[in-house]
Formats: sequence, structure tokens, C-alpha cells
Amino acid sequence: MAAPRTCGLWSYCGRGLSRAKRNCGLPGLRSSWPWGPLGARLLSQEKRATETHFGFETVSEEEKGGKVYQVFESVAKKYDVMNDMMSLGIHRVWKDLLLRKMHPLPGTQLLDVAGGTGDIAFRFLNYVQAQHQGKQKKQLRAQQNLSWEEIAKKYQNEEDSLGGSLVMVCDINREMLKVGKQKAFDRGYKAGLAWVLGDAEELPFDDDKFDVYTIAFGIRNVTHIDRALQEAHRVLKPGGRFLCLEFSQVNNPLISSFQVIPVLGEVVAGDWKSYQYLVESIRKFPSQEAFKEMIEDAGFQKVTYESLTSGIVAIHSGFKL
Amino acid sequence: MLEFLVCPLSKKPLRYEASTNELINEELGIAYAIIDGIPNMIPQAARTTHQNKKQEEMEQH
Repeated sequence: MAAPRTCGLWSYCGRGLSRAKRNCGLPGLRSSWPWGPLGARLLSQEKRATETHFGFETVSEEEKGGKVYQVFESVAKKYDVMNDMMSLGIHRVWKDLLLRKMHPLPGTQLLDVAGGTGDIAFRFLNYVQAQHQGKQKKQLRAQQNLSWEEIAKKYQNEEDSLGGSLVMVCDINREMLKVGKQKAFDRGYKAGLAWVLGDAEELPFDDDKFDVYTIAFGIRNVTHIDRALQEAHRVLKPGGRFLCLEFSQVNNPLISSFQVIPVLGEVVAGDWKSYQYLVESIRKFPSQEAFKEMIEDAGFQKVTYESLTSGIVAIHSGFKL
Repeated sequence: MLEFLVCPLSKKPLRYEASTNELINEELGIAYAIIDGIPNMIPQAARTTHQNKKQEEMEQH
């Protein structure tokens, strides 16, 4: 399984990332050692409360944020390309499914957190625009006998093609937002779109503001997931919906992205370490059921999840009632 | 779109200062910069305003 080579690569490339290495354990083996992280905790009793994981590494909570920031800073420009490569373009289907599940109507206020490069935001805008145009066509068909006044009015008003919809893209990483903003400019998205540099754990929005909150492939990078969920609950309007698209526990044991993704990362983006982090952060994320419970703890109700592609990703949904 | 934003720490409304292109929280005396059209609402990145010092000076006079 190319085990010794991986270990060598890991300790060589991982020099920047690694801290006190208890053992040169192979990443693959470590994942099947249940008492590995426990052993680390016994060593440092005082730090126990403030330690978290950065992939398979144990880091202090203050560090995780910074390290995650560096990962995304370095991958920002190649982010979309890597997504296509790693998921063979299927990530587009997942995001389309997320939008279909959301089924936003014109006038929806969406907050897309960790949405840096704008994938969800652009899909949202396309969706509500199509919905709005569909509505307008139906209206036209129904109103074949308009008076001259009404027809004149139609020419005067600059109608909002989005029907009052708005998407606020919030991300903690400036590089990702820059990429997103450039994409928006290139593709001609202007109306109903806003960009904010913000922390998912401390959102710069007032209570009861948004109809939908989405976070796609972002929540596993947050240091305190429970705080992010609580903030999500706070900023949603009553009746609002929480939607999370995230990597999940795979049902099919034959699929093992573990070795392939970092190699792809090196080949395409020239950045092995960041994609090693990606793989490990996926492994560390709680299972569908466990995450469902976390969402319920934050106050959401009617929490459900749907696994896609043999459980590679899952969409969790909850309501603020 | 700026009307949507509040201070991430206190969740109170902010005042837009056109001269410095910042969003200011008077109460806490902090200012969030807007760079390249993107407001930076990260608490650690905000700068403290000099308004507190100014108030002290006025009180002394």
C-alpha cells in the first residue's frame, strides 16, 4: 500500500505542519488506532480543554484557525480546478442538488457562509432568476388584455429580475472572496450579491435576518462547530432553513480517497500539504447521525440528512421554528 | 448592503464613515475597514478608534 513511502513523504513535507510527533505513525494506521488521540490527551492534561484537531494533528484552538486560513489562502486560486479533479466534476451535481432541495423562491434572503468562491451564491441567483422569469411569463399569459396604462408602466419600471432576492457571501478568508468576486465579475453577476469577510462563529449580522443559511464544505474547517451552528440559528428568521453540504462517512469501504487526493493536489496545484489536510479533515468530521445531533443541540428542529454518492457527502437540513 | 451588517461582537448597528471607508461601532470604539469593496468584519482585524482619547481630552478642558 506504498506505506513506507507515505511515511517518508509525510514527515518530510509535514515538517511545517507537524509539532511534537509522538510516533511516526502512518496516517492510515493512525486512523484505525482508537486510542491514538487519547494517548496524546493523557500527555497534556492541562491543554485538554483547548485542543482540537487539524486533520490528524492535535493543535491548540488558537492555532487551528490560523492553519486553516493558510490552507485556503494557498489553494484559493486553484480551488475550483481541484474540486473538479477530486470529485470528477460531481461536486457540481452535489451543489445543484443542494439548490434543488432549497427551492428558493424570488425574494429569499440567503446567507452563504464559507462560500468564498461563490459556487452556491451563483447557483442561487440563477435559480431565483429562472423562477422569477417563469412567474413573469405566466403573468403575461394570464394578462393578455392589458390597458394602455399598464403596458406603459411596464416599460417605465426597471423590474428587479431577481424579485428582491439577495445572497450574502460570508467567508473568513480574503483570498477565497477575491476569487469569488472576480468570478462574479467575469460571469456578469451584479444584483443581489454582497461579499463580507466574517467569522462563522461570530457573524456580523443581526438576529432573525435570513430565510436560508447555507454552508457548503465549510463547517468542518470551523474551530468551534457548535458556535457556528448557534450563530446560524441566531441569524435565521423564524421558519428559516439551515442547509449544510459536507463530506461524510462513506458507506462503501472500497472507496478510499486517502492516497489519491494529496497526489492529485501536488500534481494539479503543486500543494500536497493542503490536500493532505483536506483528506484528514474529512476523516475527522462526525458521522451523519452525530452531526444531526449537533444541529439539534443548536436549537434546530425537523433535522434531516440525505447521503449522496454512497455517503461521500451529505446534506443536513434543519429549521428554526 | 451595508445596512445588513452589525458589529460581530456586540451585534449593535454600525455607522458608515465615508472619509475613512470604515464601519464604526461608537460604543466599543472600533472600526471595521472596507477593502476592495469587501467589509472586513473579523473582530481581530478591527482597529480601535481614537474617540475615547478625544473624549478624555474634552473632559480635561
